[in-house]
Amino acid sequence: MSEHEQDPPDIALPYEGVRVLELAEGISGPYAGRWLAALGADVIKIERTTGDPSRAFGPWPDDLPDDETSGLFLYLNGDKRSITLNLETSDGREILRELAASAEIVIESFEPGYLAERGLGYDELSNDHPALVMLSITPFGQSGPNANLPATELTLYASCGQMWITGHPDRSPLKNGGSQPSYQAGLNAFSALAGAYYGAVMHDQGSYIDLSVQETYAAMAEAFHNRAAQLGIETQRSGNNLNALWGVYELSDGYGGICALPRNYPAFANAVGLPELQEERFSDPGQRLINNDELMALMFGWFIGQTRQGLMELGIEHRVPFGYVATFEDLANSEHLHSRDFFAQHDDDRAGSLTYPGRLWLSSGHDWKMGRAPLLGEHNMEIIHGELGYEREDLVRLRELDAI
Amino acid sequence: MFDPGRPLSGVRVADLTMIWAGPYAAKILADQGAEVIKIESPRAWDNIRTLLPPPVAPGEHWWNTNFYLHEYSRNKKSLTLDLASDEGKTVFARLLEHCDVVIENYRTDVMDNLGLTYEWLKEQKEDIIVVGMAGFGKTGPEKDAVGYGPIIEMMSGMTSTSGYGDDGVPYKSGISYGDPIAGICASAAVATALVQRKRTGKGQYIDLAQREVMSTLLGEFYMDWSMNQRLPEHMGTGHDWMAPHNVYPCAGDDDWIAICVRTDAEWEGLKRAMGSPDWAERTEFSDQILRWEHRSQLDELVGGWTAASSKIDLFAALHVEQIPSSPVWKMLELQREPHLKARGFYEPLRHPEVGIWSVHGWLWRADGAGPCIVAPAPDFGQHNAEILGGLLEMSEDDQSALEAAGVTATRPEGVPLASEMPPTPSML
Repeated sequence: MSEHEQDPPDIALPYEGVRVLELAEGISGPYAGRWLAALGADVIKIERTTGDPSRAFGPWPDDLPDDETSGLFLYLNGDKRSITLNLETSDGREILRELAASAEIVIESFEPGYLAERGLGYDELSNDHPALVMLSITPFGQSGPNANLPATELTLYASCGQMWITGHPDRSPLKNGGSQPSYQAGLNAFSALAGAYYGAVMHDQGSYIDLSVQETYAAMAEAFHNRAAQLGIETQRSGNNLNALWGVYELSDGYGGICALPRNYPAFANAVGLPELQEERFSDPGQRLINNDELMALMFGWFIGQTRQGLMELGIEHRVPFGYVATFEDLANSEHLHSRDFFAQHDDDRAGSLTYPGRLWLSSGHDWKMGRAPLLGEHNMEIIHGELGYEREDLVRLRELDAI
Repeated sequence: MFDPGRPLSGVRVADLTMIWAGPYAAKILADQGAEVIKIESPRAWDNIRTLLPPPVAPGEHWWNTNFYLHEYSRNKKSLTLDLASDEGKTVFARLLEHCDVVIENYRTDVMDNLGLTYEWLKEQKEDIIVVGMAGFGKTGPEKDAVGYGPIIEMMSGMTSTSGYGDDGVPYKSGISYGDPIAGICASAAVATALVQRKRTGKGQYIDLAQREVMSTLLGEFYMDWSMNQRLPEHMGTGHDWMAPHNVYPCAGDDDWIAICVRTDAEWEGLKRAMGSPDWAERTEFSDQILRWEHRSQLDELVGGWTAASSKIDLFAALHVEQIPSSPVWKMLELQREPHLKARGFYEPLRHPEVGIWSVHGWLWRADGAGPCIVAPAPDFGQHNAEILGGLLEMSEDDQSALEAAGVTATRPEGVPLASEMPPTPSML
């Protein structure tokens, strides 16, 4: 036997053989499950019989609503298997218990208390299974006065301090685009699960994790919360321009900007080439802040003469933190992103040819799966009959009882 | 005894990161129990230490005290080491034998320029896990572009989605949003690589581009482009089917409350919270679609109600009716926000030169975990003796020789004490 054959086997996907139950809806929990699935986990998405509500959110091809072609759902649920379970029925709860016995990880996003009230909380599910890792992801966590308060992306963005500092100082506070509270929480959940699962592998002991969307976003209030806490100083909204060298400007063909720290100034001044920038009132870091308004006026004048691509090239040439406000068209056509195989691309029977972000990072040690999302209940037969051993007739009965 | 809050205990990380994205990743690892050794050169330290000069950073040794540093580097240890010198590299090689992970967020070319390639790192420790967090990644035509959080946000598509909608101007998030997002993801990458190493015995190199991580938080927009070649419209604080859905002015100084109504039942609840005004019974507000069509008018009327009361009183009334709502909390208010306070989100942090203030604790809490904050950010070089003398068993003479040669230090080179400095304006 050669030395090579004695090496541990290559596992192309880090979570191969790990079973995850995803009892989570919408964006946050499914986002976390999405990457576990892409990294090889067997993610069983357990949907209510009417499906994850995100199936009812667009975009859809040609704006035609269809539960099986929601762009949001397809993006967030690639490489998972779907079964339907009604946890209001005893059969539904029993099937969940049977599945949990074979799972390493459970992700859930029910209202706090829902699962425990049905005998499906962490204590029950981990009773004979101490290595189980379970994570609850909810707007405000499992405890505290707001635990059961309903929330939206807007109210969450307000609740974590982010909205106060976003937007123009003379206008109302602004929300950033899309569903950032949910997405960032999903990313935190992915990290939490990866760490907790490593702990479970090393110590044969799992954990129960309470993740609050509000807290994960409040934790990234940057210097602004820290300053309030240490020095008692409030922060005002600064819109697109924290200072002349940290902000967004109008360009000749769109928007772009700069984010430079003091150490980037010499390279910046050389790249821009305006002689005034070499004068001490701007080149000295202290004086630059005192003369910020003047410098900003100069910058508005300079940026409006730049193009997006020109700015990017100048930044690369001089190592200056320039960038532009890229559109999704720019990104879909980005030579850079394509050269790094960033996108997943495949033909979906119903939704057509699709291109979407397909991975988080590149690794020398593993691959990423980039498969399609399941149809609602597509794997009922495969899992409930094939793996749990229920008879085909049982499935008919379960369906009649509205359990699946 | 297994501590469920610290599943990464036993993992040792060589942390070469700076500013925010990388330190945020290493902070998450440290909070979860990894031993994170923050490595800085006497001549090239984490720039965040000196970004905010006195009086913003209190105390005489001000490079150890600012609030920024402490939030991102709490629970870590500090070793100073000049990795550009041969002696420094020799010590680093010895340290690597005891490490599981190396993490850096330098510009793309810096590690290679220092001779710290993945190949070299692997020679020192065969199964090392290495994470590089360059903004645009280590390959591709834009690999040499540089950028902090807002640049990452712009280049990912994020900024193009944000704006008031009436002026066509895209707005950045209030924070440097790209940084913590990349940091959270890098912490997940490390844990994932540890899982894989446990199974295969092998380490790996991870090329994590901050821009790509941010792009994954925008799935529906990429899909809309792919499906319909459509770019997003700026929604401001509005919504494409909910109304009311906005931030409304309250009594007080620049005080606001966010209120959203998703269903007819919630609309009934809002009406009760408002004291059942006559205008709410108008036919143009009688169903979801009509309310959305008449949302400007509705916003004005709801805003008339909110303007007369404080955001605290309004929230109390809305809470009773279970209406999705929240005051727009300011930075000074967050620590006293009743819900976060009840959950113990903020924990005290103590530093001998500053005193006590509070920073956020657990990002997520494992049942049975104790407090998150074990130690403040380390003073510059605070753990030199512990690591060099303890872990690496170097003699005191050898340690002194390193310090004399400028390979290690306990003060960043050329940085004056606070009392020696003229007052300087702050960047913030």
